[in-house]
Amino acid sequence: MKKLLLSMLLYLGAISFAFAQGKVITGKVTSTSGPIPGVSVFVKGSPANGTQSDASGAFKLTVSDDAKTLVFSFIGYKTKEVPITGQSINVNLDEENNTLSDVVVVGYGTQNKRDVTGSVASVKSKDLENLPVTSFEQALQGKAAGVQIAAQNGKLGQGITVRVRGAASVTAGSEPLYIVDGIPITSGDFSSTTAPTSALADINTNDIESIEVLKDASASAIYGARASNGVVLITTKQGKAGKTLIQFNALGGVSSPSNHRDFLNAAQYVQIERRAGQGQANQDFLNGDYATLQKALDDYSASVEARLNRYSAGNNDYQTYKVNSNWEAASFQDKPVTQQYDLNLTGGNEKTKFYIGGQALDQQGIVIGNSYKRYSGRLNLTNKVTDFLEVGINLNFSNSINNRLSNDNAFSSPLQSVALSPITPFIDPRSGLISGTLPGAASNYPVYYNPFISVDNAFYKATVYRTIGKAFANINIAKGLKFSTDFSIDNLNQNEESYYGSLTFRNTGTSNGYGQNISTFVINANTNNFFSYNTTIGKSAFDVILGTSYQKSTTKYSTIEGQDFPSDSYIKLGSAATKVIATSNEGAFSFLSYFFRANYKYNDRYLVGFSVRADGSSRFGANNRYGYFPAGSVAWIASEEDFLKQSETISLLKFRASYGLTGNAEIGNYSARGLFAGTGAYGGLPGQIPSRIANPDLTWEKTKQLDIGFDFGILKNRITGIFDFYQKNTTDLLLDVPIPQTTGFSTKTQNLGSLKNTGFELGINTENFVGAFKWSTAITGAINNNKITNLGGQILNSNEINAAISGQPIGVFYIPEYAGVNPANGDAIYYKNTVDANGNVDRSTTNNINDAQRIFAGNPNPKYTFGLNNTFSYKNFDLGIFFQGVKGNKIFNAGGQYMSANASNGYDNQTVDQMSYWDKPGDVTSVPEPRLFAGNGIGNSTRYLSDGSYVRLKTLTLGYTFPVSVLTKIKLSKLRLYATAQNLLTITGYKGWDPEVNADYQSTNINQGVDFYSAPQPRVISLGINIGL
Amino acid sequence: MKKTYINNIIFACMFLMALSSCKKALDVNPVDTIEQKNALLTSKDVEGALIGAYSDLGSRNFFGGRSFLITDFLANTDAIEWFGTYEELTQAINKSLLKTNTFVDNVWASGYTAINDANNVIAAIDKVDAAKKNRVEGEAKFIRGAAYFELVRLFGKAYNDGSASANLGVPIVLSPTSIVNESSYVSRATVAAVYNQAIADLTDAEAKLPATNSFFATKSSAAAMLARLYLQMGNYSAAASAANRVITSGNYQLTGTYLDAFPKMPESGKPAKPGENSTEDVFAMQVTTLTGFNGFNEFYGSSTFGGRGDAVISQDWIDATYSAGDDRANAFYDDDDIFTAKFGNQFGNVPVIRLAEMYLIRAESNARLAPAAPIGGVTPLQDLTTVRSRAGLTTLTATLANILNERKLEFAFEGFSLHDAKRTQTNIGSLPWNSTRLVFPIPQREIDANKNLVQNPGY
Repeated sequence: MKKLLLSMLLYLGAISFAFAQGKVITGKVTSTSGPIPGVSVFVKGSPANGTQSDASGAFKLTVSDDAKTLVFSFIGYKTKEVPITGQSINVNLDEENNTLSDVVVVGYGTQNKRDVTGSVASVKSKDLENLPVTSFEQALQGKAAGVQIAAQNGKLGQGITVRVRGAASVTAGSEPLYIVDGIPITSGDFSSTTAPTSALADINTNDIESIEVLKDASASAIYGARASNGVVLITTKQGKAGKTLIQFNALGGVSSPSNHRDFLNAAQYVQIERRAGQGQANQDFLNGDYATLQKALDDYSASVEARLNRYSAGNNDYQTYKVNSNWEAASFQDKPVTQQYDLNLTGGNEKTKFYIGGQALDQQGIVIGNSYKRYSGRLNLTNKVTDFLEVGINLNFSNSINNRLSNDNAFSSPLQSVALSPITPFIDPRSGLISGTLPGAASNYPVYYNPFISVDNAFYKATVYRTIGKAFANINIAKGLKFSTDFSIDNLNQNEESYYGSLTFRNTGTSNGYGQNISTFVINANTNNFFSYNTTIGKSAFDVILGTSYQKSTTKYSTIEGQDFPSDSYIKLGSAATKVIATSNEGAFSFLSYFFRANYKYNDRYLVGFSVRADGSSRFGANNRYGYFPAGSVAWIASEEDFLKQSETISLLKFRASYGLTGNAEIGNYSARGLFAGTGAYGGLPGQIPSRIANPDLTWEKTKQLDIGFDFGILKNRITGIFDFYQKNTTDLLLDVPIPQTTGFSTKTQNLGSLKNTGFELGINTENFVGAFKWSTAITGAINNNKITNLGGQILNSNEINAAISGQPIGVFYIPEYAGVNPANGDAIYYKNTVDANGNVDRSTTNNINDAQRIFAGNPNPKYTFGLNNTFSYKNFDLGIFFQGVKGNKIFNAGGQYMSANASNGYDNQTVDQMSYWDKPGDVTSVPEPRLFAGNGIGNSTRYLSDGSYVRLKTLTLGYTFPVSVLTKIKLSKLRLYATAQNLLTITGYKGWDPEVNADYQSTNINQGVDFYSAPQPRVISLGINIGL
Repeated sequence: MKKTYINNIIFACMFLMALSSCKKALDVNPVDTIEQKNALLTSKDVEGALIGAYSDLGSRNFFGGRSFLITDFLANTDAIEWFGTYEELTQAINKSLLKTNTFVDNVWASGYTAINDANNVIAAIDKVDAAKKNRVEGEAKFIRGAAYFELVRLFGKAYNDGSASANLGVPIVLSPTSIVNESSYVSRATVAAVYNQAIADLTDAEAKLPATNSFFATKSSAAAMLARLYLQMGNYSAAASAANRVITSGNYQLTGTYLDAFPKMPESGKPAKPGENSTEDVFAMQVTTLTGFNGFNEFYGSSTFGGRGDAVISQDWIDATYSAGDDRANAFYDDDDIFTAKFGNQFGNVPVIRLAEMYLIRAESNARLAPAAPIGGVTPLQDLTTVRSRAGLTTLTATLANILNERKLEFAFEGFSLHDAKRTQTNIGSLPWNSTRLVFPIPQREIDANKNLVQNPGY
């Protein structure tokens, strides 16, 4: 071994000796902020003949006599080629941040941003990396105009809603198509519970070089059939020729809830519950159920006091408010820690380039019991086999472990403990155990199952192993003509395991333990094969691709559930005496596609693009499987024209227009077919039942999109901007249409109806200050108007809160209008809002919510979304202030019927605002009289609707980069320390925990903007370090 | 140059290969489920669909419990103390159902799902082996007839409230739905028409069913459901005759003790075991650990016994209702609150018709038909004595009031109180027996989906 090493050294020495006879070049590499160490300097065409600049930026390189050009390359700077003219070369490198000359990734290729005729939002790694997020969508929020991103709640690794230019579908999928390095990856939700998780969380955000969102038809139609909701192209970091650069990043932080919600204290709780007893006693007396009011009051008083005694752990401490538990505060963990460590290597030579990335992520959630760990690695490797053949692989593997919580609608969800009484002690003094634990009062104490029992007696762990691998080859057939082929497999293996110990019996309904084991296996294979050709003839430039792709994805799923374990020491299902559920399922879909695109450019200023894709999907009936999706676009770079070319002010002015057709196929795999399922077993005997009604005519949902926009650059591109207007008309909606249940079915998937999204997008980047003090600003803003134009007369209103109805935006709140409280008797009242034959609206009120017409009370979708990013740097300091917000949407607190119910719906603790309840005739308030269990005012109405606009200081980062003089001493190429705060400040009128909310268990395209005991977003304060070797 | 040429050929071929491999590429067939056209081809297929119809009939939303439980909530005055937060049931206990009540919608949907299942079986009856054909058809018709009777008495006005031939009942669908078209938007038939359909189905079922048939519907199950239906209509002679046919079949016996008629409760803290039908179950929905769901247990059972413990029974009501020595007063248990022991087994079968009901139907009908000779040759006093002596009570007289009161004692929380109040025109608290608030609303969702439906008055 030693010998081998020695001979290798000799061999390498011989090579360098071979070059030793030539000339010596010396020089210095600098940038505007000083000398740059570590720059790779080599002779063009002979990368082995190279060196690096030292700490002062100086280099010395011996080159052969025939060497003509030196290449200077360094990460973060534009590579520069300098002809060798003398013995000394001083080079000034430009930072790589000039957005206009950027290359953007488009479907099946790249384009100069200047030549793009469609609407593409591009976000680069520097705006995504080193943030304490679980999934990259969180880092993207507010940074791409027209891309609305909202988390459902503050649980880790859970569903995030992404809408590109509004929801383009009503009941089919509305999430964009995700393409990672050219392959459509498995995305979406594989959670076995109603709370969705995201398969995108398996991707390490710090591996991402850029994210491009294809928004208009001309950009996205190359992905035709699945592009209606936009396409998100994720490009991972690639190797670069030159010295291997080693980067180590570490980030550690502490989280806390971004907001708290106030509930009644013991004294207030006792007061309102007693008052509720009196209120209902009076009602019963008025109804004639009691002969005298006193008898009714006595009865109710006895009942209420008995209950208060029970919830006070069977004693009368409640009378003195001795116990005053704050369940809300207890639901959050004490200083949960987030840690994130990255180690990346980037390097290679002219022939072989590689990027190796590894990350360990360990996040503790703000809600008690919630944590997420992920270990991931990536290898991107390319090799030039010959001058015409390049091959490579991209390989990503990850393992995540998510200690999950129950969905927002479960008693075992920690935040549901806010329903428990403040007079209930955390520890039951009778048993010394957590309240509600056996042995001791447990079946009806406290008010509900105490979710804190689950903390030590239950777990729900989701483990994911994910491998995404792609092998590819690019073959240069002739000048300008290339054939690209790739094959990829995206394999997702998920295991969800849970065990609920015997002490959780009140939650599980079983006394001896309950266990679940659910496996999900997704194998998604894809191949792309395409020719690309580009050529320039005189002033004309052509760029053409033609190809085919095939994708097949199979999902297998199995569930075992069992109960009755010998003891809580046994948690595996082999020990369960009773197996309650044992099922397995499988589903698959395939897409076969042919695509063509041609771009033509004349004289660097006139651009024309055309693309078409033919897509076939197994999801549709045999007669209607194929769809054809063409798109065309034109652009004019006016600033190239003579009359603007000399302009000092205008550096770029480009007008764009595009029109095209895209499709959506995001429905169930077998939605077109009439099916029977073997799930009709009864009394231990097998049976079958009809499970789906057929629709042999089912076909693609189609979106026609018009986009008109312009790009501009002013004052040598110190100010650049992009503006778009679009109109997306979706027809033949893939709709789960409610059908009369007298058919034995409740819905059928059919092509019915249409909707429209119209909007404007604006992106402006300015360099306010350049020089030693730098200040730049990036603004993104979007307006989207969503309107359903036809649903065939149907009203989709499954949660009785949100609706899809013609003439209204999707998910419009469709509920009776609350009119407050009748001052005379404390009844909740509602506006009737009935319309007579003449169109007059009856604004009189009723105390019967059934007599009140539902009104269109607001929109859950924000009309305006915006982001504002300011970055400053001075000397070695950098500061980033990023605001993000939405405006024009409303939020419905579906938990209001329990938590803000003027104690009229059981013994749930109430929000503090309920203390302004109606108490005596003449009181003017919006909180009705408390009436125990009478539901006074708790029906879904505008009582629980509020404005959801917010502005959030999403990220605040302050960094310090050590100067070269220090780095030289410690032999590092980079060292930066920084502090970053996520969600530091939220300005909103919403009274709940967090305006960025949509309760996980009920979220659909239609059911949006609903809060139900949903955890807020975390505020994360962290410190980080970036080290470059 | 030649090399490039060869390459071109190779690559072109690769490309073509990719293109041509495609014919089958889009044929991805379901593996969890089967296509409708392949589902009902053999006798075994149709028998499997019949089992499926039972499973839908036994849904927690229908005969699994809720369609009975909601009616007891509506008729409750002082027996049930409701501590739950399911707003749907809070509405029921307050007698102010909303038309958006999802429990009500689920009753409607589950009823028609069972009916569609039965229609599938009936339409494919020719595929069934000759030896089994009558039984299979009889069971399907029992399910359909029972479902129509249940739906019409929930969603239509009471039979005795005004004109049954004018009042709206529920839509009648008698053929399976395989595709949705114009004819799928059915209007409501009259109350009388739906009763007639149920009578036709149940009568045909009684004719075709065998006397014994494991835990599935038997000849007596159909007769018993007819007895209940005729009683609701006020057709007492038909009710008494049908009840008499069940009693005299000899296939059912009252259990020794009252509690034995219900699934046995497990020992506290021990796993519940699925129960078999008792000797007096004329028809019960089967629940096992893997299939079926006891919808009564869900709300009436304390959490120690698998329920939510939401529906507590008033001790005052028990004390005021049951006389000393009545064994039925012991059918309760104390688990910090008082709960009914009838539904203390999470995996217990859901009793739908017990033999005791037949004795009391015959007794009541004969009492009402007096002085005519009693149908079945047994006097109301004898029948009443049969039921009461099991509870440890002696019986001196059998007035109509006695018999009606006996039904309250015997069938508490089993889904009888609302329908009995309506047919006997007994007000519920201050609410008139024929209040629109005691009739289910047609679900808003259904009104939205089918323009031909008319909402009930009061909603």
